[in-house]
Amino acid sequence: MKGMNTQLSLKYSPWQEKTSRPYTAIAAIGRISLLLICRQRLFWGLLALAMLAFFFFLYGQYLMVWINLQFAHETVRIAGFSVNISQLLRFLDRLALQGTAHTYANFIWFQGYILVILLCFSGSHLFGNDIIYNTMIFYYSKPISPWYYFCGKCLAIIFLIVMTTFIPATILWFEAGLLLDGLTYYTQNYLVLLGIAGYSALIALTLSLLTATTAMIFQRTAPMVLAWMGLFVLLRMMANWLAMTTQEGDWRLLDFWNNLYLCGLWCFGIDHATIRPIPQPHYNNAFLVVFLIITLCILYICKQTRLEIYR
Amino acid sequence: MVFPSNQPLLELYHLGRDYGTVKALADITLTLPPGRIGLLGPNGAGKSTLLKILLGWLPPSRGTGRFMNVELTAPPAIRRQLRHLVGFMPEADAIIPGLSGVEYVAFAGELCGLPRRHALRRAHEILNFLDMDEARYRPVETYSSGMRQRVKLAQALVHDPLVLLLDEPTAGLDPAGREALLQLLERIASEYDKSIILSTHLLADVERICDHVVVLAAGRVRAAGQVEQLKDPRGSRYQLQISGNDTLFAQQLQLHHVAILDQRENGTWRVVAPADWTPQRFFAVAYQSQAIIHRLVPDEETLEELFLRMISFNNMDDDAKLGNHALPLGESG
Repeated sequence: MKGMNTQLSLKYSPWQEKTSRPYTAIAAIGRISLLLICRQRLFWGLLALAMLAFFFFLYGQYLMVWINLQFAHETVRIAGFSVNISQLLRFLDRLALQGTAHTYANFIWFQGYILVILLCFSGSHLFGNDIIYNTMIFYYSKPISPWYYFCGKCLAIIFLIVMTTFIPATILWFEAGLLLDGLTYYTQNYLVLLGIAGYSALIALTLSLLTATTAMIFQRTAPMVLAWMGLFVLLRMMANWLAMTTQEGDWRLLDFWNNLYLCGLWCFGIDHATIRPIPQPHYNNAFLVVFLIITLCILYICKQTRLEIYR
Repeated sequence: MVFPSNQPLLELYHLGRDYGTVKALADITLTLPPGRIGLLGPNGAGKSTLLKILLGWLPPSRGTGRFMNVELTAPPAIRRQLRHLVGFMPEADAIIPGLSGVEYVAFAGELCGLPRRHALRRAHEILNFLDMDEARYRPVETYSSGMRQRVKLAQALVHDPLVLLLDEPTAGLDPAGREALLQLLERIASEYDKSIILSTHLLADVERICDHVVVLAAGRVRAAGQVEQLKDPRGSRYQLQISGNDTLFAQQLQLHHVAILDQRENGTWRVVAPADWTPQRFFAVAYQSQAIIHRLVPDEETLEELFLRMISFNNMDDDAKLGNHALPLGESG
């Protein structure tokens, strides 16, 4: 308490102006939350990894068009081997890099790998630290509803999700238009853009709530990563094995990321029969599981909000 | 939201709060005027629950009350409005790791509805006021205990509240830090006309800065009133400070049936005189025994003694023993 017993000459002035509406605190909480994440070096590393997938798709689309135009029927030498361009194109076709709905659905699917790690890291910083350092008391002592706190934090998470899914996917959509048929592509595929928005919105809503819930349970990054690995990797492997063994698509409902993918494909208006690998559960069942998870997360957050006050 | 200063700060009528089957607050009736109020009580007395009700976090389970003209039984949205008028300094750290001191305080201002630019300006102003120089740019998690207390006080003050709720503000501070913080709180209360509700178990803090005290135990008010009024005057007990022939002075006092309770090396004595004794007679005895009286004051009960006396009663059936000390403050003060 250096110097505090000396005579203090400075004063502070009264506040007599009007205050903003309480909900404006949501933006402040979101902004500060993003600031806290951006100050972590690991975040920039993870973001760089997330951008790798984006650049792969960005240049992949360009490469596909370029190869089609320049060498469609030729044979080129790659690493000393003669490769027929049509064979190379068939391989690249698996990634669906032709600017179709599958292109963007696949892109968001691949982004999911890095996104879950990014969210584990962010969740423990945004929600876990608030519990560890008793910061909830700080927020609750201000004239804001507990829901503004959650909305503000989720806003930051949603921003991260949008930054790694919706914005890059939209850039890919614009790129596809520029490379393919220009205005014709945009007019014929405007629903694809809505699909990108729908899929991203669903991921943003679900994963922000799931991040908040798991971060409040596990608080620290390492246990959260383990829990999410169980949820997104272990359950996925198990679901895949059960579905392949029994040929029952509904086993894939255990794979939460697949459920989100199916909901995303529905947003793109993709025919269920074209989805690979088969068998897959019906769209309705996938939506039901996602809805159930969202409800459970909201119930847990409601309960936790009350518990924090009682603590 | 405006609060007229001529109205009571807090009025509680048979207020209670239960957690399941546990009665955290049993039955509290209390009227407190604006000022510096100490909330005393042992662990589990109900201090924290009362603070949570005042902050609008919890509704009371029964009874009614008004804090700064706002009904404590009002819907949560209305109770939240109270926090525009109240600054809360929690006992827990409640910091945001990664933010600097000034960002933390400015953020607190924004949460209270201050525009971003004004919040930052006021954050600097209040940190200047609290004498936090360059430290304000350091991350809050690197602060010492004293600095953490100051930054917590700053976030409570940034929106210019009328009332400060302080939960154990001097906990974990060294004596110099404690003294400095108490000086600062005294200054805030006197110069800026802020009411303070200080919840603590450190009686010396209350004695130092509060003019009113509420003693809580087992969810009930054991005593409430002005500190000076609550202390037992103890009739004919005195404190003396003497020098000279103290042996003869002691013999003379005993001859006059004055009992010596305590005799310290620095010449301070605590004595009990007979009922018909007048203070002037000490000087006459001192003159006869060639002693000099440097100080003569009635021996008042300390706040610690008062506290222990009040919480030693197990339930409100003992109100008779408490006498008029259990009266609500508005009536007794």
